[in-house]
Amino acid sequence: MIETPVTSGLEPPQLDLTVPKGIRSRSRTAVRATLGTLLLVTAVGLLTLAPGQLGPALLSLAHNLKLMFLQPHLGQDTLAQLLGALGLSIALAAYTTIIGAVVAFACALLTARNLAPAWLATTMRTLMALIRAIPTILWVLVYAVVIGLGTEAAVVGLSFHSVAYLTKAYAEAIEAIPTAKLDALRTSGARPLLIIRHAVWPSVRGSLLSWTFIRFEINFTNAVAVGAAAGTGGIGYYLFMASAFYFDFQEVGAIVYLVLAFALVLEFVAVQLRRRTA
Amino acid sequence: MLTVTALNKTYPNGKRGLIDVGFELQAGTVTAIIGPSGAGKTTLLRSLNRFITPESGTIELDGLELVGATRAALRQARRHIGMIFQDYNLIEPLSALENVLHGTLGDKRLLPGMMGLYTHAEKKRAMALLQEVGLAESATQPAKSLSGGQKQRVGIARALMQSPQVILCDEPIASLDPQSTATIMTLLAKLAKQKQLTIIINLHQVDLAREYADHIIGINAGRCVFDDATAALDDAALARIYAQEEAMVNG
Repeated sequence: MIETPVTSGLEPPQLDLTVPKGIRSRSRTAVRATLGTLLLVTAVGLLTLAPGQLGPALLSLAHNLKLMFLQPHLGQDTLAQLLGALGLSIALAAYTTIIGAVVAFACALLTARNLAPAWLATTMRTLMALIRAIPTILWVLVYAVVIGLGTEAAVVGLSFHSVAYLTKAYAEAIEAIPTAKLDALRTSGARPLLIIRHAVWPSVRGSLLSWTFIRFEINFTNAVAVGAAAGTGGIGYYLFMASAFYFDFQEVGAIVYLVLAFALVLEFVAVQLRRRTA
Repeated sequence: MLTVTALNKTYPNGKRGLIDVGFELQAGTVTAIIGPSGAGKTTLLRSLNRFITPESGTIELDGLELVGATRAALRQARRHIGMIFQDYNLIEPLSALENVLHGTLGDKRLLPGMMGLYTHAEKKRAMALLQEVGLAESATQPAKSLSGGQKQRVGIARALMQSPQVILCDEPIASLDPQSTATIMTLLAKLAKQKQLTIIINLHQVDLAREYADHIIGINAGRCVFDDATAALDDAALARIYAQEEAMVNG
């Protein structure tokens, strides 16, 4: 209990809460000066970068954006083709997420400090941090060198980064279980595997599900990008062809809307999921 | 019968947790361990199921020696030692019944255990134990929805599910209101008599020890300074048990 001073209500409490003025206004001046300078540099930079071309360039940007987003239209490819390609990207995302989740759960048991010995936990943690530090797309390209450009490289590369990402997330969820709860079962003579099955798993399955779903969303984004970058096919490949090959901005717009629609569906499911596990 | 002789524990930082502690406890009795904070009550209790490993001494439970036991033998012995905690340590999302069934995990073989299969007999016994602690109608409720006193009763039922000879209670009522405290302490005293259990309780409150325990062990600075029936706990004994605290207060 924090004791609050009791006042009679007759005399107002003597409070001396003057804020030292110097610090606040000095930092505010510094922020303002920095922002002002940046604004000036940007304006000068933009105007001198391409004198006379800024106007036409902006106009053409507006025109292209209009083609993309206000007049989306299918060009080379049929809707069925695009939907099939979207399905392929979704399948790639789902497949790599499932592989990642299964492997990551096993890894997380070796990474969580309340389950694994300290040396193992630290080793796993470092290893996973190293893998995570390199972006997914780079892993796909690395595996493209090893396995060859194509679907295999995409699957291995996406799964690889998913494992590292989910291991960290899962391990942290597991570490949130108070050690005493696990000790309570240890003192009854239960084997470690049974403790994982009956104490760890029921305690974390909700947050594991949300993390896995977040990774699914990330993997979908990656699957679209990888389609173009690693020749895996999928909606990303069509996007790449339509924009860089055919310059068909109307089709680019259609594809973007298609991806957006699916992203909205994902978001909706995520919100529902969070509501249920919370 | 639980026999403890010459138990010693020194922590890595050089602090002596237990110094030559020894006593003998009978089945069917409640024993309270009392003493100032930091005297070694928890260290002693946790040594009894070798949750903390003492350097020397013996702990003998029905002919089984724990201090020198191998890992497998220890796991075997722990099945007969139930434990309840200040913070209950239930698995919150699971139902009360499932938490009670966790008491069988020490006896479970790996495969049925991993599949989460409990026999009909086990479920029936778990229900009977919930009935015994007065929570049969809350069996399917998740543990997180129960009150503190109810959670502790589930904890007791979980310990009983092990068919234990000994139940160790680590400050079981420290988080409870007076009414739940009375319920829990009465229940523990009743169970000790009924099931011929050796119940050992860490307590901060001397009054509760006097009211519910048959036997009292007083710990001061790692030494056992009192080991007798509750009736023998007089002012002189109390002064001895809480000596350090008063020395500190008086400077």
